[in-house]
Amino acid sequence: MAYPTELLSVVGLWTGWLLMLMIYSYPLYKENVAYRFAEHIFVAIFLAINLVVNFQYLMNTCVTPLLQGNLLMIVPLVLGILIYTMLIPEYRWVSRYPIALLVGAGFGLGMRGVIKPSILDAVVSTITAPSAGTMMNWVNFLYIAVGLLSSILYFLLTYEHTGLLQPPTKLGRLFIMIGLGAYFGNTVLFRFTMLTGRAQFFLQVLKIIPM
Amino acid sequence: MSNILKREAVFAVTGLVTVLMFVEYFFFPQDWIVASTIRNWAVIIYNISLGLGGVRLIQQHVMGTQRRKENWQFSALFLVAFVVMLLTGLAGYLGTGVATSNGIYNWLFVNVYTPLGSTAYAITGFYIFSAAYRAFRARNLDAALMLVAGCFVILSNAPVGEVIWSGIPAIGEWFRFVGQVPGMRAFEVVGALGMIAYGFRALLGKERGFYAGGAEE
Amino acid sequence: MSDQNIFDKLQNIDRRVFYWVLFITLMVPFIYPIGLPVKVVQNTRDLYEGITGDNINPGDIAIMNFGYGVSAWSECAPGFTVCAKALFREGARIVFMGSQYDVELSMNKLMNDAREDFANKVYGVDYVFLGYFTGGESAIAQLATDAWTVYPSDHYVTPDAQIPLMQDFHGWQDVTVVLSSDTGDVGSYFLRQWQGSHGTRLAEIGIAMNGSTDYPYYLAGNYFGLSIGSRGGAELEVLIREPGEATTAMDSINASHLLIVLAVILANVGYLLSRRKA
Repeated sequence: MAYPTELLSVVGLWTGWLLMLMIYSYPLYKENVAYRFAEHIFVAIFLAINLVVNFQYLMNTCVTPLLQGNLLMIVPLVLGILIYTMLIPEYRWVSRYPIALLVGAGFGLGMRGVIKPSILDAVVSTITAPSAGTMMNWVNFLYIAVGLLSSILYFLLTYEHTGLLQPPTKLGRLFIMIGLGAYFGNTVLFRFTMLTGRAQFFLQVLKIIPM
Repeated sequence: MSNILKREAVFAVTGLVTVLMFVEYFFFPQDWIVASTIRNWAVIIYNISLGLGGVRLIQQHVMGTQRRKENWQFSALFLVAFVVMLLTGLAGYLGTGVATSNGIYNWLFVNVYTPLGSTAYAITGFYIFSAAYRAFRARNLDAALMLVAGCFVILSNAPVGEVIWSGIPAIGEWFRFVGQVPGMRAFEVVGALGMIAYGFRALLGKERGFYAGGAEE
Repeated sequence: MSDQNIFDKLQNIDRRVFYWVLFITLMVPFIYPIGLPVKVVQNTRDLYEGITGDNINPGDIAIMNFGYGVSAWSECAPGFTVCAKALFREGARIVFMGSQYDVELSMNKLMNDAREDFANKVYGVDYVFLGYFTGGESAIAQLATDAWTVYPSDHYVTPDAQIPLMQDFHGWQDVTVVLSSDTGDVGSYFLRQWQGSHGTRLAEIGIAMNGSTDYPYYLAGNYFGLSIGSRGGAELEVLIREPGEATTAMDSINASHLLIVLAVILANVGYLLSRRKA
């Protein structure tokens, strides 16, 4: 995308740049009026977009089919509106029905879907010995197998981690810490990449680097 | 009767819908019209429910403006920005069926929402840096392992790691493909078992936290 | 106070100094780029090979899910763009969809970044943009069984019956591959409701944070490939031989990552020294 030339686009670009600086004035300086201004604008616009986009989706998936003759669509429409009885204390219990449907569908789908990828495939992958076995492959296989077993034991909260349970749960905790360290490393990449994008935008608007 | 409508009947609905999803999975290789219809209804109800948080937020700002609470000017600004964006978006939708066909809505979407959205989330990058400096200490074996794993993964994620030492990418890859797997897979398996256990509790009506006011009764 | 060494003093520095140092460190490499080579790892290579060559035939339908918003453009957009280009060059037909409110902006960005590839394609025949969806896991499960109920029309309100591509897309059985680019849970919904339930080929072009949780699934074969964050995007740009945004950002990533590791090492040296003194 090249640097814009139309007045409205250039104004828009600089507006975005200024709003970015307003937000960054909070960590780089201190909380101030400009930051709160930008923050409130952001939340307001985000909420409005939320409502507009969801309204558009509702019209396309529910209201339009209803008006075209699919009368069954009146059921989810009414149930969805009933969720707003949550705001009226004496009729709050009515909102439990649409929530019950959502919760039931969510749990049913989650429970039936999670068994294969998260349990069966995970266990099979862990216990499948390496076919082409160099020493390092076998070390890795044992590392993962022992590590997984001891890490799962660490989450066994029904019994106190004493006696026979103490060594494996302590070992499991070490494996978990390694996993969390790697997770932290990846989180750093994620957060810094987002900041990198902003640093690049900062320079591009000032024309220090090309867009 | 009133209690049955407020509690038992609600749990029965949850249980019935959950069972229907299971019945479809095990007995119907192609989709089953009953489960498919209920899923479609769930999608629409979910969609409608997304406005609930917005209603609360607007209530709060309207009250703040009316009662001239502290910083009420920002609440007024919030309401003005919200109304402008909402009306222009709806005008665009009613005109062509696509909200961004309205010029003002589209301009605000591209030039205000986009930079603010990117900036607001990117701010956490600053905090992670100062947190890493201030809090990431090798106080004991657990913390030291976490530190070492984190540093190797950080350096192997950046191409500069290989320039510093040719072993860094190899060790980083080991951490990614082997080192972190037991811990992450444990979260995966335990999380899955937890979801199943929690789902059964919801099926049997033992979990009431997500029903409005359910925890109180 | 006089017992304080340099490390103790560094501990008490105002955090705003860190933020400025970081912000400037991120900017300098854009002005003075270095361009270190990016090594491609196996999971990214598997992803690229999984959507090219014999693994995709002309006319195959691929779903590409914009699970990211404007905030994660620098993380996910480069990898997503490369995958879209690769699929188009194999002659695949692509269904674009997304769960973020700003999915239209992400689609516009994609069409701009891959404009030469889109120029040869006909909307409605070679690709379609279905737009925003909501409904969480229920929507993804419903998409697998009856896609037309989740999307009765595309983003531009054209009914499915009038879109040639949608005539061939009703559910999971019509889709060859799903590529999900996520900042949240939608990838795991596809994992449970598409890959786990129906065996559909699935890959993730995710944020780096999800990388750790996605690796066990990749190793178990649930994902046929994985692209981790902007580094994955840079690797994909190497594979397609078209350097782009991710490659440009790598210099800044180098500097910032080196900075944080140095900061952590410095902090720990100071900590160990003060413990020894105590």
